[in-house]
Amino acid sequence: MFHRLAIRTAQSTLALAGLLLLVFFLSRLTGNPTDLYLPMSASLEAREAFAEKHGFNDPVLQQFLDYVRGILQFDLGDSIFQGRPAIDAVLEAFPVTLRLAAVTMALSFTIAVVVGSVAAMRPNGPFDRLASVLTLTSASAPDFWIAIVGILVFSVGFGLLPTSGMGGPLYWVLPVLVLSVRPIGLMTQVVRATMISALASSYAKTARAKGVPERRVVFGHALPNSMLPVVTVAADLTAGFINGAVVVETIFGWPGIGNLMLSAIVQRDFAVVQACILVTALAIFVMNVLVDLSYGWFDPRIRETST
Amino acid sequence: MGKHSKYSIALIAGACSVASSVAFAEQVTIVLDTEPEQLELCQSARSQVGKVVRQNIGETLTEIDPSTGDITPRLATSWTQLEPTKWKFELREGVKFHDGSDFDADALVYAIQRTLDPDMACENRVKYFDGFELTAKAVGPHTVELSTSDPVPILPTLMGTMAIMSPSTPMGEPSRAPVGTGPYVFAAWEPGQQIELERFDGYWGDTPQVTGATYVWRGESAVRAAMIETGEADIAANIAIQDATNPEMDFSYLNSETSRLRIDTQIGALEDVRVRKALNHALDREALVGSILPQDVILATQLVGPSINGHNPNPKPYSYDPALARQLLDEARADGVDVDAGIVLIGRHNIYPNAFEVMQAIQAMYADVGLDVSLTMTEAAEWFELLVKPFAEDREPNLLQSQHDNNNGDAVFTVFAKYHSDGGQSTISDAEVDRLIEEAGKATGAERRSLYQEMFARLHDEIVPDVYMFHMVGFTRVGPRLNFQPSIATNSELQLSQISLR
Repeated sequence: MFHRLAIRTAQSTLALAGLLLLVFFLSRLTGNPTDLYLPMSASLEAREAFAEKHGFNDPVLQQFLDYVRGILQFDLGDSIFQGRPAIDAVLEAFPVTLRLAAVTMALSFTIAVVVGSVAAMRPNGPFDRLASVLTLTSASAPDFWIAIVGILVFSVGFGLLPTSGMGGPLYWVLPVLVLSVRPIGLMTQVVRATMISALASSYAKTARAKGVPERRVVFGHALPNSMLPVVTVAADLTAGFINGAVVVETIFGWPGIGNLMLSAIVQRDFAVVQACILVTALAIFVMNVLVDLSYGWFDPRIRETST
Repeated sequence: MGKHSKYSIALIAGACSVASSVAFAEQVTIVLDTEPEQLELCQSARSQVGKVVRQNIGETLTEIDPSTGDITPRLATSWTQLEPTKWKFELREGVKFHDGSDFDADALVYAIQRTLDPDMACENRVKYFDGFELTAKAVGPHTVELSTSDPVPILPTLMGTMAIMSPSTPMGEPSRAPVGTGPYVFAAWEPGQQIELERFDGYWGDTPQVTGATYVWRGESAVRAAMIETGEADIAANIAIQDATNPEMDFSYLNSETSRLRIDTQIGALEDVRVRKALNHALDREALVGSILPQDVILATQLVGPSINGHNPNPKPYSYDPALARQLLDEARADGVDVDAGIVLIGRHNIYPNAFEVMQAIQAMYADVGLDVSLTMTEAAEWFELLVKPFAEDREPNLLQSQHDNNNGDAVFTVFAKYHSDGGQSTISDAEVDRLIEEAGKATGAERRSLYQEMFARLHDEIVPDVYMFHMVGFTRVGPRLNFQPSIATNSELQLSQISLR
């Protein structure tokens, strides 16, 4: 397992270095941020002075070396728009996104496992058909539309929930529900498919023949063996959330990493873009390692192969 | 606990509850479209910063009335021009900064030096104080002499843009906790969530009714509008036209922006003034009003609105006359002008609501008069590179969708960059226009106004550097608790002291 972890770490470090290299040079290709920072009426001299002060006139290679030197000293540069270290802005936004992603995935995973498993118990039965229609619909529903309709119905119409913002439990309801709709749909489909296969397997039949109650066959025997593809899909969805749920963050006014990254890209606030990418890439690397470890836990054969 | 004690506690609790609800009732919540990146007073020319800090936290020496262009005293009580390049400002006495320090001549000199510090890249400096040197000298406890390297007859107007910060604000580094003299004190900023201001008890002026304000931000117009309906906020800025559906709450107002298509007069057929006039006559502006643009927009004949000093009321909007447009194009064609070569219509996404739809409509109108016009939409950064000099040598004849904001009372903030031969965004080079801009810049009063008006008339009638579009309007939604009328100033500042509760 440690060997596997070491290989995974080395691979991720290389991928991270490549990613940072790519982001650095691609963002410079979009041009100089001076024009977006200064007012339209700023003189050429003012533009030159600003670009000079922030090093935008330096050769790109020189800028890259300065950036690498900064990383080695844990200095990711300053946001020119916010006038403070870029990492401060990122570390304020990232926990917001993480919390939102964690709650959303916990809810989605639980619902998907229960609904998918129950649906798999009687394929093509009434519950399965209903679940399939609902999950297919939810997997393809646009976040933006659901969010706006949700606000109009539950906040403006019934006055049950706040429209947006961060606060107590009620403030979480709409963002989490909107964000959960698609993962629930996707994961339910995966759970259902793998569970149908698992429940038809020889070990499930043997268990039933030995008189094991059906509930235990489903949740005790089949479900753990069906988890690998579900965990993989869940990890993929979580990675998407860690990069920021831009639409939901924007509509509900959640100051997460997606919002921050988007505005930094639009403003060419290079230091913030790079810091966002670095932090999210590190988080995704950690999550991938945990997922790898979980594979071994769900399937002992993987653990034995690794050792 | 005795019976009386219980009653006492209940009474105190009740009193506290009433007191807090009264205090809460006099608080307002304002929902903006975007979070200010900074709360630095020297960046108050940025609209998202200005809406929070300008005249709330930090005040200016003079105050510009955007609806008339008039200048009134604020932190200065009077001013005198001693020489063409020297002014004396008398400062208001008894004014305190929020940190308890005195507002006096030394404090003003510090604030000016800090604002003009090149290391700060202050928008207020780059936008209003670039191109000449300004030095400040204290000549008395409450008297300051301001000297400029060149004559700046509108210096009192310019001083209406510079918010004054406390001497305790560090030199050379942006502040996220501004300290000024205004009626409201910066209280807290939870990044990403909200900013809070509280009423300043030591304010020199009248005590405003609103005791404090909370600023939040939502990127989506529909959400901002919904927040007013649910009572979560009291004022929602920049509501999109499709969300401004409640006539009792949604106020439309001229927002000081003027839209145009800038004609690249130095390339191909666009060098010919007949073609440029044809472009104006081919456009059915009225068809855009009330359909894809709000009903209240006003047809423009120049790049500044009616409230700006120098606006010329005489030019009439170019009539929609496709026959005349075709005739002008035919005349140019007969003289060898290649009017059939392609023209690129360059738009910018979201420069104003429905910007893309407007450009599609314009493209169709130009096709109707036989012009070969292609449409390209750009993002802000790409668009900006096309807006400013140096222009690419190999560019195609083009019309650039543009919008200009001037709510500072004088045409000087518009004309040089847009129309002078040396202007950073100018596509024209006309000696007479240059002369009028330079002369007006040095003149004052009626003469100044007259020179600018002459220049705008010449631009409209003879040079035709633009396809003139509209003086634009914005929408702000105001909740039923408040008496507040959005105005042309609302785009750049939102004075809490002008809000009262019903």
